[in-house]
Amino acid sequence: MILNAQTLPANGNINPYAFCIDVTGEMLIRKGKMIAYYGALRFEALGAGPFEVLVNEVLNSPLHARNFVVVTGRGKLILGDRGHNLASYDLEDGSLVVRSENVLGFQPTLACRESIIPGYLTLLGTGSFVASSNGPVHFLEPPVKVDEDALLGWADMPSPSYRYDYNYVRGALRTVGALVKGWGTGEEKQLDFSGNGTVLIQASERGVQR
Amino acid sequence: MPQYSLINSKMLSIKLHGEEVYAKRGSMIAYTGQVDFAPSSSGSEGLGGRAMRSVTGEQMSLMSARGTGEVLYAFYGLHVTLIQLSEETFFAESESLLAYDGRLRSGTQFMGSGGMQGMLRGAATGSGLFTTTLEGAGELAIVSDGDSFALDVTHERPIFVDPQAYIGHRGQLQSNIVTDVGWKSFVGQSSGESYQLKFTGLGTVYIQAAERGGNR
Repeated sequence: MILNAQTLPANGNINPYAFCIDVTGEMLIRKGKMIAYYGALRFEALGAGPFEVLVNEVLNSPLHARNFVVVTGRGKLILGDRGHNLASYDLEDGSLVVRSENVLGFQPTLACRESIIPGYLTLLGTGSFVASSNGPVHFLEPPVKVDEDALLGWADMPSPSYRYDYNYVRGALRTVGALVKGWGTGEEKQLDFSGNGTVLIQASERGVQR
Repeated sequence: MPQYSLINSKMLSIKLHGEEVYAKRGSMIAYTGQVDFAPSSSGSEGLGGRAMRSVTGEQMSLMSARGTGEVLYAFYGLHVTLIQLSEETFFAESESLLAYDGRLRSGTQFMGSGGMQGMLRGAATGSGLFTTTLEGAGELAIVSDGDSFALDVTHERPIFVDPQAYIGHRGQLQSNIVTDVGWKSFVGQSSGESYQLKFTGLGTVYIQAAERGGNR
């Protein structure tokens, strides 16, 4: 089947790996994730002239602002990310902490802030965003312990803490050598979530090369 | 005539009756019957085409299979799409080309405008600005990271494509390299996103939901 500007979904998946956004106003997208578009769209740097307001209100973080560009105009914009699964998520007056590299685009009605956890950003407010995951996203309820690499984010709950296996801690206390990499199973450190909320994970250990 | 069929979304079967099939090197996963495999650097093109390839960097790493039997092809678990040509030309990114046979003639073509300067830039960056052409009637198979999909181009509706997501196109299309000043000034340096391919005319563009040159 051949798609065109009319038959492309408006804010929906083309297939599990490609997502089409119907751009009518402003939209923030991650640099380099545009794979194609129809229509008159412009891609502008944040902080390049007319977007001072966005910098102040929406993307108040020099770290993340560098990774996003503003799309303006009218048209159909297609996003893709390394063949990962893409989906759109709605936030209603919510607070979501999500792995920064997996956020591909969001509406400027959401506010993006730098999370205190490195590599993560916080989305606040009401609006929708597009995110990628290796395989479909799986939702978990706390209490749960999660591998750091499989973690995508968490919503409406306190930040996690690290938890180490008992044997690992004991070994680390005993000898300095225990801290050398390659020791143990590689599974002795997890993120421990407690309280109310939702934890989002993906079927991947990040950094595993094909 | 070799018979192409998909065993599943990531596995291609070609039945041979004495013909020669060109495929990505290392993509054969199984075969039955009497089939001989040999390396081939250029598929079904002449000496001139071979010289063009070595200059432009649009390299194809191919092998030929000749004989009688069934050959199964797959490449790193990438999705396979079959494309049927009827006396027309298909433009393919060489990295995305999985298999074709002697019914199609192959060549190399520059995608952008801008004369010699544009051509040199394309050759220097080697990022999908040169394509492989396949001309004739027959089937070919392409691989894509995630399902590939086809997008229609009409005179009223041109399309802009990330060169790294581009797989191929067919029809009466002109391609241009467009530099978006706003985008370039910000993204510029090394991300390879500062130029897009603009297709105008009448035809179909195939893209994948991933950028080449990332982790592979």
